[in-house]
Amino acid sequence: MPGRQLIMTFPVTATSHTLADYRARGGYQTLGKALAMAPQDVTKEVSAAGLLGHGGAAFPVGRKWAVVKLDDGQPHYLCANADEGEPGTFKDRWILEHSPHLLIESMLITAHALQVRHAFVYIRGEFDLPYRRLAGAIEEAYDAGLLGKGILGRPFDCDINVIRGAGSYVCGEASGLLASVEGKRGYPRNRPPRLTVKGLYQRPTVVNNVETLSNVAGIIANGAEAFKKVGTPKCPGTQLVSISGHINRPGVYEVEYGYPLTKFLFEDCGGVTGGKKLKCIVPGGISTKVLTAAECEPLTYDKQSLEGAGSSIGSGGMIVIAEGTCMVRLLQVMLRFYHHESCGQCTPCREGMGWMHRIIDRIVAGEGRPEDIERLIEISKLNDGTTICGMGDAAGYATVGILAKYRDEFEYFIEHKRSRLDGNLEVPSVVPAEAGTQ
Amino acid sequence: MPEIFINGQPVQATAEETVLQAALRNGFFIPYFCWHKSLSIAGNCRICVVQQEGKDWVEIACNMPASEGLKVLTDSELVRAHRKATLQFITLNHPVDCGICDKAGECTLQDYHFEYNGERSISRDSKVRSTKFVPLGKRIVLDNERCILCSRCVRFTREISKSNALGIKERGDVSVVRAAEDASFDADPYSDNVIDICPVGALLSRSFLHKTRVWYLEPTPSVCPGCARGCTVEIWHRKPEWRLKALDPRQNTSIARVTPLENPAVNGPWICNKGRDLAQIFERPRALQPMRKGKPVELADAVEAAQALIADAKHPVALVSSWGSNEELAAFRKAIGGRFAAFVKPDHVAVPGEPIEDDLLIRADKNPNTAAAHALFGADAIRFDAGTDLVLVWGEGFEFGRLPRGAKVIFANSYLLPENGHADVFFPISIQTERAGHYTNFEGTVSAFEPCFAKAPAVIDAEALFATLAVEDKVHA
Repeated sequence: MPGRQLIMTFPVTATSHTLADYRARGGYQTLGKALAMAPQDVTKEVSAAGLLGHGGAAFPVGRKWAVVKLDDGQPHYLCANADEGEPGTFKDRWILEHSPHLLIESMLITAHALQVRHAFVYIRGEFDLPYRRLAGAIEEAYDAGLLGKGILGRPFDCDINVIRGAGSYVCGEASGLLASVEGKRGYPRNRPPRLTVKGLYQRPTVVNNVETLSNVAGIIANGAEAFKKVGTPKCPGTQLVSISGHINRPGVYEVEYGYPLTKFLFEDCGGVTGGKKLKCIVPGGISTKVLTAAECEPLTYDKQSLEGAGSSIGSGGMIVIAEGTCMVRLLQVMLRFYHHESCGQCTPCREGMGWMHRIIDRIVAGEGRPEDIERLIEISKLNDGTTICGMGDAAGYATVGILAKYRDEFEYFIEHKRSRLDGNLEVPSVVPAEAGTQ
Repeated sequence: MPEIFINGQPVQATAEETVLQAALRNGFFIPYFCWHKSLSIAGNCRICVVQQEGKDWVEIACNMPASEGLKVLTDSELVRAHRKATLQFITLNHPVDCGICDKAGECTLQDYHFEYNGERSISRDSKVRSTKFVPLGKRIVLDNERCILCSRCVRFTREISKSNALGIKERGDVSVVRAAEDASFDADPYSDNVIDICPVGALLSRSFLHKTRVWYLEPTPSVCPGCARGCTVEIWHRKPEWRLKALDPRQNTSIARVTPLENPAVNGPWICNKGRDLAQIFERPRALQPMRKGKPVELADAVEAAQALIADAKHPVALVSSWGSNEELAAFRKAIGGRFAAFVKPDHVAVPGEPIEDDLLIRADKNPNTAAAHALFGADAIRFDAGTDLVLVWGEGFEFGRLPRGAKVIFANSYLLPENGHADVFFPISIQTERAGHYTNFEGTVSAFEPCFAKAPAVIDAEALFATLAVEDKVHA
């Protein structure tokens, strides 16, 4: 295990997602404790714990919640972001499949803190088992009086609706998500106003990632101080990491912040597959900058260490890349993704993504031109901070990150019209995968 | 009242204003495509960027609240670099259609390109293709390659005309504006306004398509006579210096198109489609010849006959045109109105299928000057008392079968109608586009129209006609 566990604390069985199993491991006892607290005290506890968002931006959760004014006479909304669209990320699905009640209980505690009567889970349309498990858990909760009116016999009402997406990455962006919930096109919105001031139906709304919310029950159960003992002083808690790519034991792991990165890769996850050396990793979803094997050496898995190396935790979707992999082909796959997912609203991203994709397609087809590399960097820079949402920036970071460290591969490809390596992205797995934490 | 600083100068903004609004109101120009003062903020074109002093990034001005002490620069190097880049992005896939695009000469993209970019594209890849000449109903054609997806047209149908008839399909750089498939865009009586607000040549009028270049035309301010709202419009026609002998003479003397003339007191920046189609009203076949019982005569002959009829009549009735201008109505009243029992006549009523009235502009009364006519002549229903022996019919729209038997008829009208030949005396009179005048709308607002065409030789202004028909009351024995 890569450090102490807060969420993946039980063995996965055929029934571990059920209400009965969840209660058996102490579930829904914290809800009663939370409902006895004043709403603002719940928020204070979460703030004191220093909980950060696990959706990719690592925004302090307490600070987001505090913007919502209590008793302002208007409805507040809470939305759990289960869109999990960042490539390489599949860690929220672990919670939805194996502990959906942890999310429900945490959402109820959060709804109490924010005076939310109607909460939503926005789940990506492609999720099948996670959706069925979640929907089943919600039904169990309603049957047991844990959702609906008079929860636990208290004057506390709350409903949770699950809204399914239909295949858009940008509906994982908070304001695009709310547009989709409202039944409109998934177009992100300009800020101001912030969503915590005017969000869903122009009311104060908190959108938090599934994993972020799932930490709330534990914080209220054991207190902020206990939470801060896990992880590092500046980065408390844990991160669910979904690791894939050229790794021997891919899967979802809970990593305590501060855990040595290379130890995680080579011990817990069994090292690079095919008997190869590590080339680089994408730490947390393709929008984070790649880190070479050498750069990974001294790092611990936490916000400060990764940001100090010029990257970030991101969404926790770690992709491992073995020696011999063509970075040009890899960037092509990434740009194809961004081009496909651009919502098309704002000029730099709509035109820029297509432009970058067409350039890299040309390079891979052997028709690259010397100025293409600078053009890719220029387009990335012009998307940084100039777009409505962060997708333009993200595509820029991915591109600039790879070009900064592997520019020579691109120059070779342009000059010789083929990859310096064999050009494949797949690596045959030689070492049989042991049972991971599934 | 927050005070902000634009390019170092203090500017008083209002509490609800954005930086863009405060800047434009105070004479600082910030370019914009997707913003429109009558629509919600979209913030997607990204060209209205400004830079806060001391910061090294740019932000859009159309969504930036003007907060106390804010200091922005609208023309710094960073701002200029971003504007140029935004134009490079917009023109990346924009087709070089200027040579065949109707918008040339009044295209915001053209103007901004020359002002803020002026360089060729830095991309040498092919442009993304899309659908061209997509009919959005019978009136408007859409070119998706030219469209810059500013969403003004979509927002217009959601927020102003409320037909919800336009939307965007697909996403990314294959997004396309499309009309709802239930033909609600065709049914939208305000659909043509999207042609004005489209900043490029994506949405174009099908009736105006490829007819002429806009720089051969000049606009004359006028008032739409389609209903009692009296929206101010601009009637476009060939400039005098471009009236070429080589052209079909009708091209030199016809209405090329009609656009709104912005008017905060009456119609804002919009007009309805009936106003766009004014040529269908004004360019019907004209009456060009005075007549007596259908026989063409000289004007002097007709005037003499009419004067005699008026002098001899014991119970004359006048049906006053609600399309008469304020000046004509006053002239009628002054010259011969006293002699007649006058009733105001609606020259036009709604035709089947025409919108009657709505919350936006359209009024049920399909005549431009009923208010002024009623003020002078009252609003009584038309009636012919027994003994009516002369009826002066001014303007069209009266069923001649309703005229009392045995009464003489003097008819003053502009258009070629069968009734012209049935009148005892007929005068061809000028239409609105051939003279200056004013209409008073249903709210009492007076708007002016100016002439754009010369009238035919035998056509007479109603104002002048009434003056010549004035006679002393003869004493009857």
